[in-house]
Amino acid sequence: MEDVVVAEDLSKTYLVAEKDPGFLGTLRHFVRRRYKRIEAVKGVSFRLRPGEIVGFLGPNGAGKTTTLKMLAGLLYPSRGRVRVLGYAPFERRPGFLKRITLVMGNKAQLLWDLPVLDTLRINAAVYDIPEPEYRRRVERFAAMLEIEAILTQPVRKLSLGERMKAELMAALLHHPRVLFLDEPTLGLDVNAQAAVRDFVRRYAREEGATVLLTSHYMADIEALAERVILIHRGRLLFDGGLRALVARFAPYKEVRLDLEAPLEPAALAPYGEVVGVEGQSARLLVEKPRLTAAVARMLAALPVRDLAVEEPPLEEVIGRVFREGRLG
Amino acid sequence: MVRKLLAFLSVYYAHMTVYRGEILFWLLSGLAPFFFMAIWVAAAREGLTDRDPLSFARYFFFVFAARQLQVVWVTWTLSEEIKNGALAFKLLKPLDPLWHYLAQHLAERGVRLPMILVLVGVFWLLYPGALVWTGPGALFLGLLASLLGFLLNFFVAYVLGLLALWLEESTDLYNAWYVLFMLFSGYLAPLDLYPEAVRAFLFWTPFPYLAYLPAALWAGEPVAGAGRAFGVLAGWTLLAWLLARGLWRAGLRRFSAMGA
Repeated sequence: MEDVVVAEDLSKTYLVAEKDPGFLGTLRHFVRRRYKRIEAVKGVSFRLRPGEIVGFLGPNGAGKTTTLKMLAGLLYPSRGRVRVLGYAPFERRPGFLKRITLVMGNKAQLLWDLPVLDTLRINAAVYDIPEPEYRRRVERFAAMLEIEAILTQPVRKLSLGERMKAELMAALLHHPRVLFLDEPTLGLDVNAQAAVRDFVRRYAREEGATVLLTSHYMADIEALAERVILIHRGRLLFDGGLRALVARFAPYKEVRLDLEAPLEPAALAPYGEVVGVEGQSARLLVEKPRLTAAVARMLAALPVRDLAVEEPPLEEVIGRVFREGRLG
Repeated sequence: MVRKLLAFLSVYYAHMTVYRGEILFWLLSGLAPFFFMAIWVAAAREGLTDRDPLSFARYFFFVFAARQLQVVWVTWTLSEEIKNGALAFKLLKPLDPLWHYLAQHLAERGVRLPMILVLVGVFWLLYPGALVWTGPGALFLGLLASLLGFLLNFFVAYVLGLLALWLEESTDLYNAWYVLFMLFSGYLAPLDLYPEAVRAFLFWTPFPYLAYLPAALWAGEPVAGAGRAFGVLAGWTLLAWLLARGLWRAGLRRFSAMGA
């Protein structure tokens, strides 16, 4: 099947006005503007197949949102080629706009002073959704998200979690085939995060939708994505499966120790990299080739009550990749 | 399109009723014509003009009414949505955002209209004899002039709002437009009191059609060259619309280049 998203050598450069602080800086800014060229995305290439859910990861300022905006048609690329469902996104043709959506966790399309249903009604009209179909979709989504009771309340009275669920409902009402989700769980509590994740997973499965998702919460990525794309300072670091990512960037295991008595990190340092000590519990990262010997030495020399060896948490792996800026 | 428009009007009407207190204050802030009315009525009583006091009362009341039908704020909305990036949500949808803004204004008129009718009643009690029935033709032509005046005002405000894509702040430009409107539209004084040469020039500008033309038509005053007046008004409205379309296309290219 044809790829849904094609990005080749995608780049975006902005001109950003710079201003020095203080009165003199303001005067200079008024008389003569100074601009700085920011290369937000530099030659990024990837493809998404139909029905894929892909995690798009990177630290703040990595170029994730700029890339998503180029894919959704809000920005045109400075260089490179981009196609979504066969369309050039920045042309914003109705056939394209009717089949995609972009959800931004830090921005809202809901009408603030009105009930959620009013925004949904506007969207139904904009996307030409017939009345019976509109009702059916609202019923279905509201049940999936468990927000039937809040649809008639003003948006400003809703909790952050309820708002994001309603936002998703408004963004998916037209049944898009491609979802660009930018931090959809930002600031939500654990339960709301889980509800949003479940909804996205179920929608993608039932509709066969393709999803490109950015999130700072690794739980989102672990729960939804089998493939991840890592981007750092505008460049692609890694594109592949989650397991491949761990194998490539985490050639170590995590050893969890439950001790008879608390120990100083310095006492644990000879066995591996100490990543956390809390009371009588400690966590160490140990390189895989040294693992057996290190475990044997720990059991012999330390007051160990229990010991477990696990794959390191994804957060740890990705944090390490970004800190080291390792290129794939 | 009809279904879209009905949905928009019903939702945005609900939205505007949330701000009914604000609309009442807006309405009160538009009472300036009554202030000018008081001045000109007093001047007429002193015999300083050829017009009689009642004709001034009638004229300025209709200036107020025409102005109420033409209030626009799209410059502020656009400027704000461009700056905070909210325009992006409208650009992601397969419908020109202009329809949203237009529907918001039309829905607001639905909330404002009953309040205007109350003011009509109050005025009728305060100035008996000032409101006279000048016939369905005058009523229709006055409404047509007001509608075209609203569209002209709306597209000018839209153009000025779009300039926020190039300038950091564009709302002050609307204030400049408003000053020209105040001076040259017949808002401060009926245009027949202006020198002949000035009046002849002004009738080629868009301003007289925003206040003087509808007010004079409703008041049953003779409007010389009404046909030409409508032609000039329609021409300016068309020009403002074309400018709004052109600037929108150029603005989108800029928005797409710079981002929200």
